Amino acid sequence: MARTLAMFTDTSLCIGCRACQVACKQWNELPSEQPEWTGSYQNHATFTDKTYRLVRFMEKPQPNGELAWLLMSDVCKHCAQAGCLDACPTGAIYRTEFGTVNINQDVCNGCRYCVSSCPFGVVAFNESTGTAKKCTFCNDRIHNGLGPACAKACPTESIQFGFRDELVAKATKRVEALKGMGFKQAQLYGHDTGGFLGGLNAFFLLLSKPASYNLPDNPKLPQRNVVVDSLLSIGSALAVGLGVLLAFRERGKGDANHDA
Amino acid sequence: MLKTPHWEMMIVWYFFLGGIAGGAYFTAAIADNFGGARDRTVARVGYLLSLPLVGLCGLLLVADLGVPLRFMNMMRTFKFWDPMSLGAWAVGVFGLFTFVSSLLSLSSSKSHAALRRKIGLVGIVFGFFLASYTGVLLSATAQPFWSEGRLMGALFLASGASTGMAAVSLILALTGGGSNPGLAKVKHADRYSMIIELVVLALFLALLGSAARPIVSGHFAPLFWGGLVALGLVVPLVLDFVGHGRKALGALAAVLVLVGGFILRYVIVMSIQS
Repeated sequence: MARTLAMFTDTSLCIGCRACQVACKQWNELPSEQPEWTGSYQNHATFTDKTYRLVRFMEKPQPNGELAWLLMSDVCKHCAQAGCLDACPTGAIYRTEFGTVNINQDVCNGCRYCVSSCPFGVVAFNESTGTAKKCTFCNDRIHNGLGPACAKACPTESIQFGFRDELVAKATKRVEALKGMGFKQAQLYGHDTGGFLGGLNAFFLLLSKPASYNLPDNPKLPQRNVVVDSLLSIGSALAVGLGVLLAFRERGKGDANHDA
Repeated sequence: MLKTPHWEMMIVWYFFLGGIAGGAYFTAAIADNFGGARDRTVARVGYLLSLPLVGLCGLLLVADLGVPLRFMNMMRTFKFWDPMSLGAWAVGVFGLFTFVSSLLSLSSSKSHAALRRKIGLVGIVFGFFLASYTGVLLSATAQPFWSEGRLMGALFLASGASTGMAAVSLILALTGGGSNPGLAKVKHADRYSMIIELVVLALFLALLGSAARPIVSGHFAPLFWGGLVALGLVVPLVLDFVGHGRKALGALAAVLVLVGGFILRYVIVMSIQS
């Protein structure tokens, strides 16, 4: 496996220009969608099958009563432990040699299990192709020596692309610098490979707690439930089976048990 | 933030019919192996019921895909930790068991009967699997209501058992004349299953806590409390206990159990998707 690639989105630098969102649409040839009223400048409300990069505009009340923007260019997190990948029953969702997670559109059969398994609501179903869609980490570009289109287009280097270990080191310095400047709640999200989901290959610097960005504090791998739930199902099967056995068991009756 | 998979009526029907198929099969196989000669009718009805149902299940699953012609892609991989992958394989394997068991149940030869019982013993495992894995599948998602109860699989299994036995008892009641000792035994076993289902359901709701909101309060609550808990479980249990022996009441109870089983799948699948 090649050295793990990553995207680091530093929300403190985001100016909400949406160049990333447009560059993503252009490079990936994603059609435009009808704008919708979300209550802020944000469009669309969530990721869709045609929107893989999404600039979120959160209005945060300040102590003095005024509103301040929290801006965040959101994207598929390319989780080291990816719920969508584990859920996929066809093997269409796979991990590339760079550590990114991609959906093979020629294999996906549209069961939509990945859609319900993403802890971040990233994967979306496309009605016309009948397949699941999400950010590809510009798989074609990274296999040809280019960074993702969104990172390339970002005018403030809010989105940075590079080797994961180098980006984490950079991000750690940046968060310290921001704290020094008085951004007390500045924090990294998903940088730690020992943290949730084994770390996110698209990780973030946030200026407030994750909930302010509608991000889960501690996202969990959906498949963690399989063993316990299966054992409890077996317990239920034993209880039910015993009931049937008690109802049907023939004790010392005249008719031979095993006559056809 | 989370996205739901848009699994709608076809999946609700699949969960419901898969439960019946699994429940009818393992009831039949247990009756076949551990019951007496008079329970053969129960076994035959159970086997013959599970075969068309599992066939229908397969069709529903294929039709629900975004690209139905690619259904065979499920057979490209085998992920033992992934309920969807295991389930796709299990529907196929269970289908084979129901086919062979049904075929052998039509024969009157003793050696065929012995073979059928042995096959049934192995098939029981797949019957239990089909009835419960759909619950585990829902719990292995990012949706809090589906994933925080720990007993979704156990609940689906108990419901598959109660509805499978209700379906078998209904067929026996509608086709058999006079008193049928097999029917009484299925009814007996069904009562056990309903009691287990009620207990599991109570524990499930307790474990879910506030995550149970989509079904215990709001739009789907009347259907859940009235349709499943009251009419689908408590009333049939009361009918079975007070009116034992009376065929019409037994059949009515079985119909209510079946409706309740459908409502269970419906409220669980649809409440967070509408």
